[in-house]
Amino acid sequence: MKQLKRMFRMHRIFVSQEIKRMMEYKGDFVVGIIGFLFAQANNMLFLWLIFSQVPSLMGWSLEEVVFIYGFSLIPKGLDHLFFDNLWAVGHWLIQKGDFDKYLTRPVNTLFHVTVEKLQIDALGELIMGISLICITLPSIDVEWSVLKVVLMLAVIPFATLIYTGIKIITAAIAFWTKKSGNIIYMFYMVNDFAKYPVKIYNSFVKNTITYIIPFAFTAYYPAEYILTGANPLFNIGVSMLIALVLMFLGVIVWNRGIKAYESAGS
Amino acid sequence: MKKKLRIYKPFISAGMQEVSTYRINWIFFMIGNVMGCFVSYFIWKAVFLSGDNPIMNGFTMPQMVVYIFLMFLTSTMISSGGTYDIGEEIRDGSIAMRIIKPISYNSTFLFQELGSKFMTVCLLIVPLVFGVEIVRYAFTGSVQFEILNFLLYILSCVFAYLINFFFNICFGFIAFVIKYLWGANMMKNCIVGFLSGTVIPLSFLPGTLEKICLLLPFASLNYTPVMIYMGIYHGAALLYYIGLQLFWVLAFWGLSKLLWSVSMKHLSVQGG
Repeated sequence: MKQLKRMFRMHRIFVSQEIKRMMEYKGDFVVGIIGFLFAQANNMLFLWLIFSQVPSLMGWSLEEVVFIYGFSLIPKGLDHLFFDNLWAVGHWLIQKGDFDKYLTRPVNTLFHVTVEKLQIDALGELIMGISLICITLPSIDVEWSVLKVVLMLAVIPFATLIYTGIKIITAAIAFWTKKSGNIIYMFYMVNDFAKYPVKIYNSFVKNTITYIIPFAFTAYYPAEYILTGANPLFNIGVSMLIALVLMFLGVIVWNRGIKAYESAGS
Repeated sequence: MKKKLRIYKPFISAGMQEVSTYRINWIFFMIGNVMGCFVSYFIWKAVFLSGDNPIMNGFTMPQMVVYIFLMFLTSTMISSGGTYDIGEEIRDGSIAMRIIKPISYNSTFLFQELGSKFMTVCLLIVPLVFGVEIVRYAFTGSVQFEILNFLLYILSCVFAYLINFFFNICFGFIAFVIKYLWGANMMKNCIVGFLSGTVIPLSFLPGTLEKICLLLPFASLNYTPVMIYMGIYHGAALLYYIGLQLFWVLAFWGLSKLLWSVSMKHLSVQGG
């Protein structure tokens, strides 16, 4: 308990440092957020133009598809906001020998690496995600209940951890290979599939994003529950379970990696 | 000419070595990138299944497959990293090392990139073109590959690459002035991506907008080569669009020269 308190306090200190640093470069920060908004706007234009051709996509209306897309941006954005520094582990921290500094501090390395950076550009994704949900929800016929609202809010941190878990495991590969940035990238890009109804894919893709690289649980499955109320046990329950399993695996692989780690020197 | 080639040869081979040293990494990176193509493929498949029309704005499903994957191939072939490098070099002062050498600044970038580009093209073009043609064969039952279109496509890609190269250099100088390189670069990529047809074929845009987009330099980047490969541009239209590409190459080349001479007067390197 005491340790948890210490971690929270340290998190606050790190974040406030980050915010001070960002205030030095206000322009960068605003332009970065707008950049991410632009990227999402491109996809919205794509969907909008597609739906000018067909009334529905395999039974899903434009509003529903946009809702699923918007929902997918929230866990993605949260992971991007809080755990972005894992990319640096895979890309250069280990290769350039900069990782040593984390080992000399009296904190857990994984905790230290992740809290060190707050990637504020992620607000672009979060703003877009929340706006898309708010715009589409009024025109979708959803049956609301207290349970649904609770489950919807509860699944978001777990969905976020699915991203983080996959990133930890793939980033930790760098402890053995010195560099794994592009391996993280390869796995991470699979999340693109999760933003659209799983029905449109063939069984190979469907099985891959459900059972092997389970990004479908970060977006489509929870969103399906919210829209239709179907299968809460699978759509929400399994999402949570997978998040816990991935985080557990992530910590194990990370700790093994730390043991195997040899500094690249500097 | 021969002397020039001798001067720039080291830059070409440096670029080639860069790719071959990190080839495993490069393969992972490409697999990550090609994922997006498959997402669009499945979306379009669902669109064609949901609509009753087998032809949408001039595209059938097999044509759409060709479009998606060739768009990816073309963007990779004509991509150019000039924007970032110039900004970074001005920022950290290493540009000074390039300026003191008696060779053209832009050319060193160009040749270094041509080296890495050569490797990329060799590794990508065969599997992608082959794959696309197999799909076309499976859909239509006859071989659709035309060598003339393919050669014209390569020529058009060369022009597109040059447009992109000089455009990015211009943008690199501007981005340096406005300072927010990373975010500005992302916005640029999104706008260019949309206007060059990477997001959706330009024929899906409303009439007037499509006409405007076709005139802009961005359509000359990705859209023109892909249309040529697919055999949609031929005869007078083909000549017109290749001519337009040539015009944009010259325009951006001139502009980059101009920006270069202006910014050299203002450049001051601290340390470095």
